[in-house]
Amino acid sequence: MATTALTPAATGARAGLYDWLTTTDHKKIGILYLVNSLLMFFVGGVLALVVRAQLAVPALVHYGFAAPGFKIVDEAFYNQAFTIHASLMLFLFIIPILAGFGNYIVPLMIGAPDMAFPRINALSFWMLPLAGLLIMTGFLVGGAAAAGWTSYSPLAQAKYSGTGEDLWIVGVILIGTSSILGSINFLVTIFKMRAPGMTMFRMPIMVWTMLVTSTLVLMATPVLTSALIMLFIDRNYGGHFFNPATGGSAILWQNVFWFYSHPAVYIMVLPAMGIVSEILPVFSRKPLFGYKAFVFATAAIGALGFSVWAHHMFTTGQVALGFFSFMTFLIAIPTGVKMFNWTATMYRGQLSFATPMLFALGFLTMFLIGGINGAFSAAVPVDFALHDTYWVVAHLHYVLFGGSVFGVFAGIYYWFPKMFGRKLGEGLGKIQFVIMFIGFNLTFFPMHILGLDGMPRRIANYSPDAGWSDLNMLATIGGFTIAMSMLPFLWNVFTTLRNGEPAGDDPWEGNTLEWATSSPPPPYNFDRLPEIRSERPVFDARHGLVGGGH
Amino acid sequence: MSLPRLTRSRLAVVVALVAAGALLSGCGVMQPPEAVTSQGSEVRSLYEFVFAIAVGVFVLVEGLIIFAVIRYRRKPTDTELPPQIHGNNVLEIIWTVVPAIIVAVMFLFSYSALQKVQATTPTDIQIRAVAAQFQWQFDYLSADGQTVLFQQLAPEMEVPAGKTVHLQLKANDVIHAFYVPKFLFKRDVVPGVNNSFDFMVDAADAGQTFSGQCAELCGTYHGSMLFTVKALSPADYDSWLAAQIAKARETPPPAPSGGAGQVQLDIAAKDIQFSTAALEAPADKPFTIKFQNNDASITHNVAIKDSAGQEIFKGEIFAGVDVRVYPIPALKTGAYVFECSVHPNMTGSLTVK
Repeated sequence: MATTALTPAATGARAGLYDWLTTTDHKKIGILYLVNSLLMFFVGGVLALVVRAQLAVPALVHYGFAAPGFKIVDEAFYNQAFTIHASLMLFLFIIPILAGFGNYIVPLMIGAPDMAFPRINALSFWMLPLAGLLIMTGFLVGGAAAAGWTSYSPLAQAKYSGTGEDLWIVGVILIGTSSILGSINFLVTIFKMRAPGMTMFRMPIMVWTMLVTSTLVLMATPVLTSALIMLFIDRNYGGHFFNPATGGSAILWQNVFWFYSHPAVYIMVLPAMGIVSEILPVFSRKPLFGYKAFVFATAAIGALGFSVWAHHMFTTGQVALGFFSFMTFLIAIPTGVKMFNWTATMYRGQLSFATPMLFALGFLTMFLIGGINGAFSAAVPVDFALHDTYWVVAHLHYVLFGGSVFGVFAGIYYWFPKMFGRKLGEGLGKIQFVIMFIGFNLTFFPMHILGLDGMPRRIANYSPDAGWSDLNMLATIGGFTIAMSMLPFLWNVFTTLRNGEPAGDDPWEGNTLEWATSSPPPPYNFDRLPEIRSERPVFDARHGLVGGGH
Repeated sequence: MSLPRLTRSRLAVVVALVAAGALLSGCGVMQPPEAVTSQGSEVRSLYEFVFAIAVGVFVLVEGLIIFAVIRYRRKPTDTELPPQIHGNNVLEIIWTVVPAIIVAVMFLFSYSALQKVQATTPTDIQIRAVAAQFQWQFDYLSADGQTVLFQQLAPEMEVPAGKTVHLQLKANDVIHAFYVPKFLFKRDVVPGVNNSFDFMVDAADAGQTFSGQCAELCGTYHGSMLFTVKALSPADYDSWLAAQIAKARETPPPAPSGGAGQVQLDIAAKDIQFSTAALEAPADKPFTIKFQNNDASITHNVAIKDSAGQEIFKGEIFAGVDVRVYPIPALKTGAYVFECSVHPNMTGSLTVK
């Protein structure tokens, strides 16, 4: 009988690297997602600093510290900077990092050994760094995309935008494909791979939010991907879809773009809501208040999310204003239900304030503002005043930074012990939280007032006499403060990985199944599962609420 | 690490006071400018209504969160689990129905304001804003809105105060947006789409000038697409319009020939910038400026203002790539400013000595 000689295993770093490049383990892929997304977050952050630095210049001129005409970057680069900033932050940081958490945590939370399609999972991930490189390669070939992340036609047509725009389109198509594959993977995993006893209404809220998010991705992203291909055809093969100069429609692009990109806002925020909904009960020592109401609210947000896209287009004068205004107001209701349920979860609890809880509270308090200042734009006439001003920049950052990014850091501090077996330092964590919270509000709160005062978005310059100097200066100082808050974070990760406090299996007295296995979990996830009789199996086991106990 | 009871309630008072102070000062500055159009006033009162509700919701929910955080901190005596409350259907219904009523009211108010803002009335004042990378032009049209009476190439729109103006919007290349902050209004200028709207500047605001600019990213120099709206009394407007139309019908004067011995200054424009930031000219002698516009299809000119900001000379606005020679009258010794009337951020100093 012939035998096959096994190649000797490579040793040391090479084996490690090879393992990471070829892994199909959902936990390693999850960590790859997190690392790649954080890298993109830092690049996108540097571009934001470029934008903030340039916007401080007219203020410096106003104060007499700089000569008129001085620029940090020219207008062409400025437009590339905010376009690529937004593209990286939305498509390559927030969406994938939340998918990364989902990847790591969903199979653990439902008691599964892995995702349903491990190889497709790896494929979905590896498209992302490639897409990021493509988008950023624009800087080397005469200018990256500069038509904004919304890439409105005709500005995005070949006549007005260069090669960077093509690279951007291809990059975003890749990201879209990655998202679609990932969403199918999540749906199949959640529907087919739950452990015995894990009924739908015993799933952790994080899993529910990933389920709704994946449904949104599956329904919305193909629309964006098709639209991008059509735009690519317009630009390169003489198509006429979105180009009015050749009989196409500029408004059509906006409709298809926002048909994806408004649900995308929920893709960017629902999983963060899921993270917060896991953390608040654990640090309040109470179950989530109104679990089912929360599930229905999540589903309602997902469904309503498809009927509000044109509220981004009120000022075009080409959409049904009354209908989209009504639907947009409506979406405040399920969002409010969530807000009240989170607050009620803390009511009569025993709250402790470890770093994950602080970031979760940051999410709650800041996302609230992002919800409220969004209601202004639902009132169409008010939107006529505020649309495309800095008010909208404030609004979207209160949702996506105050909401999603605070949620992301809550998740990092919460699950880091599970992923690496060591707890991130509490002291550095709290320092990061405080600096980030202050920097965030310093940057984005003044933008409300700038918007009311009439400062449009996406301008590289404004008159030093426009009266916008002080608030822009504040925002710039705030922007650099946010950047500073990343230093304690990086130092925390570095020192913790070297010699952090060992976490044990269940450092936070968690509720959900990931805390029932070792930290980090073995490749197959679980040696044995506790009995699942509620949405808090580990809590039940800890307090002897299920037969047998441990 | 629990605080004593007294300290904790004091802390709560301090937090509440700081929050109330921040909120009050915040409310003061978080208001849009006073509107100068009747439509804008509708928007402003709707804003104030929405703002009042927003502040109420903010204070209530943020207050509940802060209350929970302060009141329910974990104490060393908390060894038993707190009551495991899973939910309450009555509460869920309350906080679904009450917000539903609030948003329904907000929708009704905003919908009725929308009808007023969007309303049109028949009017003789017909203007067309024409937007292109990166300039505004205003065509004054006949009463039926069909025929162009004259084209205002400078980014300056004169309107009669107290009368309804019908503004058509036309884009020549990409999407732009007509935005005047003090109108509390903007409307996109979309190629292939005939957008228009009505507005009426309040009669009391005659004589005022309002700044406006493009609000939709339109390319590299998007931030330079500025314009102004000048409100005139109806009588002033009529005479201004008549004068402009008469001027447009005149045959243009022959191109000035640079007289022998006259000083000629050279200046060019490229990428929405002048080639130089400083010019020098002799005092008390006419001279010429030879202006080369190197921005293809973008309009520029050279205008001269004295140190008080009074316009002394305004050269013809023309699209590049082209050249003009402007005859400049004799100027007294002093410091002047030259700028492009289309792009007010293109500016430099002119020293006459």
